[in-house]
Amino acid sequence: MGVSAGLATAVTHQEAWVAARVRGALEAVFTSVAATRADTAALLERVAAEGRRPASRDLAALRPGLHLRLDREELVSGAGFVAAPGLLADVPAWLEWWQAGADGAVRPLLLDLDPGRSAYSDYTHWDWFALPRDTGRRAVAGPYVDYLCSDEYSLTLSEPVWSEGRFAGVAAADVYLRHFEAAVLPLLRRLSRPARLVNARGRVAASADPAHLAGSLTKGPDFGELLTAGRPGGYDGLRLVPCEAVPLVLVLA
Amino acid sequence: MRQHETDGGARKAVFSPVDSRARVDAVVRRLGDAIELGLLADGEQLPGESELAGQLGVSTVTLREALMALRQQGLLTTRRGRGGGSFVSLPEVPADDRLRARLRGWSTEELRDLGDHWAALSGAAARLAAQRTEPADLQPLRRTAEELARAEDAAARSRLYGRFHVELAAAAQSARLTREQVALQSEVGALLCLVLADDACREEVADRHRAVICAVQDGAHETAGTLAERCVRESTARLVAARLTL
Repeated sequence: MGVSAGLATAVTHQEAWVAARVRGALEAVFTSVAATRADTAALLERVAAEGRRPASRDLAALRPGLHLRLDREELVSGAGFVAAPGLLADVPAWLEWWQAGADGAVRPLLLDLDPGRSAYSDYTHWDWFALPRDTGRRAVAGPYVDYLCSDEYSLTLSEPVWSEGRFAGVAAADVYLRHFEAAVLPLLRRLSRPARLVNARGRVAASADPAHLAGSLTKGPDFGELLTAGRPGGYDGLRLVPCEAVPLVLVLA
Repeated sequence: MRQHETDGGARKAVFSPVDSRARVDAVVRRLGDAIELGLLADGEQLPGESELAGQLGVSTVTLREALMALRQQGLLTTRRGRGGGSFVSLPEVPADDRLRARLRGWSTEELRDLGDHWAALSGAAARLAAQRTEPADLQPLRRTAEELARAEDAAARSRLYGRFHVELAAAAQSARLTREQVALQSEVGALLCLVLADDACREEVADRHRAVICAVQDGAHETAGTLAERCVRESTARLVAARLTL
């Protein structure tokens, strides 16, 4: 459904500031994802220069960087590289994935990827994998219940990794929704109207509006279209302000 | 392929504390189901007794009794000396016989209660999913329903059955319902192999899953909840009927 541009001019200084700060919080996570992407691409290039296919053990070289990012980036609770099936010579599929526990310890994610034993072995249909693969661009998946990796309600930010001109997998980072809320709620509460952040499909990612909590859907406006256009708009009394380079829309009731 | 030593999702539930009552039975069921479902592989070594007892939240005495029962069922072997310990072993006895032996470990009252818990989880999940679902959320459920309609062996059918209900809880956007559903599936999953070997039962479950998807898609939350509950209750009733023949 169409979004009217009639209210587009009415974005206040404060709304623009909040949208920019939300964008900044996620850009910091994307910076960490980009570092993983660069490390992985360099590693795959080195292996290719040796004239061989990469193997799962090669990915161990990513660990110091992943641990550093998990340690330093406050919002990031999981980080790693997820290989495209067929990339590695020794295994059909692989996640080089590390998670920060509540105790501060960093642990590997240990998944069973045998389709004969686990119903959860195919990860290629999850948004965090499929979106960067299909669009060639970075993506924000969620909020969604991540029962594969963390059991947490999460956002996953990911970017495609390329090797010799081919899609090799995704570099990604998990942000638990409760941590994202802690980061953005103080911003949303500064606004004079009840505010929430909504993803491209209308799912609320964080909210200071008790009538529209995280996980619920905001139906009506085409948020995808609004994000593509990149301009503020209005819909049935709602004000819609895109957070520019990240796919979230600030919605004011 | 096993990645390192698994710690995520369903396997994590294998090594989480068991219920306080009837702990030996609970450990036997938990580990037995995990072996039956392939979460623990043939030849795999279990953690040391004190570590395993700690993870399961039981005393080592209790754990030993449970390991003994599993050995009696032929699901574990013990090797002594250096590099020794408890190893998963799938005996030559037909899987069906071992499954029936485990079903015999459940009273009909316990099965009824298991069904009540499951129906509460899946019914609530379906109602919430119908209110919170946008089209992309339904893709995993559709994929699972179609894979179930094609799955050949009972263990694969049982895993897909469980995955459908986990995905339903995830579509409800509830981490708690999802975690509960994963834990419940580690209990009910192995038993379901017994009823899902029957093609007619598999067809019926696949049809019921498709009906749940339609109701969720239409936003008909009460219908979705009722259909999900009916699906689960029907399967539990089949388990009870199977138990009464033993």
